[in-house]
Amino acid sequence: MKEIIIQGLRQAYSNLVHMFAEFLPRLLVMLVIVIVGLLVAYVLKTILRALLHVTRLDRLSEEAGASRFLRMAALPSMTELLSRSLFWVTWLGFILIGISVLGVAGLQEQISRLFLLLPAIFVAILILFVGLVTANFLSRAALLAAVNAGYASPKLLSWSIRFVIWALAVSMALEEVGVARQTVLAAFSIVFGALMLGLAIAFGLGGRELAREFLERNLHDKKKEKYEEPQPL
Amino acid sequence: MAEESFLADDFLRQLMSVGEVDLLVGVPTYNNASTLGQTLYSIEETLRHNFVRQRAVILNVDGGSSDETRQLFVQSSQGRDGGGHRDLTSLRTIHRISCEYGKAPSHGLALHNIVAAADLLRAKACAVISPTTPNLTPSWVVNLLRPVYSESLDFVAPLYARSRFQGLLARDLLYPMSRAIFGQRIREIYCEEWGFSGRLASQCLEKDVWREEAVRARPEAWMAVTAIGGGLKCGQSFLGPKIAPPTGTDIVEIIRHTVGNFFWCMETNQPLWLSRSNSQPVPTFGPDHELSLDGIPPSQEKIFELFRTGVSELEPILASILSQDTHAQIKAIALNDRSGFHFPAELWVKTVYEFAASYHHTVLNRDHLVQALVPLYRGQLCSFLLEHSDSSAEAMETQSEALCQEFERQKPYLVERWKVKH
Repeated sequence: MKEIIIQGLRQAYSNLVHMFAEFLPRLLVMLVIVIVGLLVAYVLKTILRALLHVTRLDRLSEEAGASRFLRMAALPSMTELLSRSLFWVTWLGFILIGISVLGVAGLQEQISRLFLLLPAIFVAILILFVGLVTANFLSRAALLAAVNAGYASPKLLSWSIRFVIWALAVSMALEEVGVARQTVLAAFSIVFGALMLGLAIAFGLGGRELAREFLERNLHDKKKEKYEEPQPL
Repeated sequence: MAEESFLADDFLRQLMSVGEVDLLVGVPTYNNASTLGQTLYSIEETLRHNFVRQRAVILNVDGGSSDETRQLFVQSSQGRDGGGHRDLTSLRTIHRISCEYGKAPSHGLALHNIVAAADLLRAKACAVISPTTPNLTPSWVVNLLRPVYSESLDFVAPLYARSRFQGLLARDLLYPMSRAIFGQRIREIYCEEWGFSGRLASQCLEKDVWREEAVRARPEAWMAVTAIGGGLKCGQSFLGPKIAPPTGTDIVEIIRHTVGNFFWCMETNQPLWLSRSNSQPVPTFGPDHELSLDGIPPSQEKIFELFRTGVSELEPILASILSQDTHAQIKAIALNDRSGFHFPAELWVKTVYEFAASYHHTVLNRDHLVQALVPLYRGQLCSFLLEHSDSSAEAMETQSEALCQEFERQKPYLVERWKVKH
């Protein structure tokens, strides 16, 4: 009996040693991959940051109004944000490769899934950035045009444009990463449809008088009521 | 010639058949068939009676008219050759040539063709005449060509007789600012007709700016600045009353194309003005201004409302352009009632200079930035109308001169903001 127990303990010890002997080199390899990944990510970040400085992305971001939103969200400049994102995406990739080297059962499949998602995440971030810049640019253009033309509620118009573009960009980004595709599509359709329907009803019922006055003013008495600016030149 | 290749073959052929000329009158057109006849008549009368011995060409540059403007130009030329004019006094043939520079109108492209033709034909004096001016007379063309041809000036701007409520953007912003920045007292730097020398045409042709949006839209101020920068002589010549064409005024478009263009000229000519101070009068032919008291004052109510709305609705945009102090002062005056409203000259000048510096530093999209000036210009306009509803012409001129001096006084402030590193 005693011998059997000792034999079992020996076997267990031997298995443990064998496991450690197999695991330790893998762990070392993983650590090497992670450290190399850190270096590669740092180099890539530095290169991207220099490139973005040359292309004056921060100025473009400032012009488009995206920088203001980043400041509001306590985020760094656009150049810094993109270069840091690249750093983390790259390093995360190397960390995942390192973990896969460990050969832990069950993790392999999850890691390959994550790898497949990485490019999609990057594209989604890009879509959100383009959406943010476009929304700011167009909403500001609409605000200026509406204010200078003397239209009523220019901010409402500006925010509507901003909201529609944001909604479009967010749904496109989520669609890209494949998060609840059907739900996102349905939610976007419902929100967009509801907004348009709401506007149509509001204008049709609430603004009947306003619409009539507007049409009368613009179609019948356009010449009589039009505001004439003094000749500037 | 610097850019021989961009002219169409047919146009080049026409130019070569003309040979060298002394005078060139450019007429940029776009669907001007209804007014072109009067314009051509005035130009020909001028050339026939005032430049008897000079070789001359009238050049039509068309932006793709669909109303047979070009055909009219050519046909009237043929009619004239067939003996249409009885009192011929010119000893030379007055040539007429026409070209189409594109399928959409562009003042810059039209001028590019005109200066290229002037350079090729070695013209000594040139003028650009707009066919949209309803009251063009032969004397206008003489007054633009003669200072260039006889007095060796290189750029001649027009001077117009104005009613007191006309040309207020020029009076309150463009003239005082251009005078303070570039140091030459040219009143109408943005104009539809002006004169220039062959020398200036050649210098302009060498510049690589013809594709710039600012030059494509309004090239005349850039041409004046090029003359100032090249050390050439600028002047101005009185033409008479200016009657605006019967089309609506789009103040936003005009400010985008003039103020935006002027800021661009500042940006691209920094060495020329950053160290320059004060201003000098330029040679002037005829009275240097003429202000009549006729004209009905425009409605101040609507202008004031647009100013107030603009200041409140554009608050975040204005905050990114203006200094805190200037922005606070503007918001404070916007709270006043219309009857007690006044936009102080000092604040107006500071505002314009801060816009110029922000344009330079590109704090936001440059076109948007210029558009944000529109409500503030309306505030200044309303203040002017309230202040001068009963003023005499002399009082208005005195106030205009004081504004010019304020622009000159505050120029160091502009330079300081301009040079701040962002």
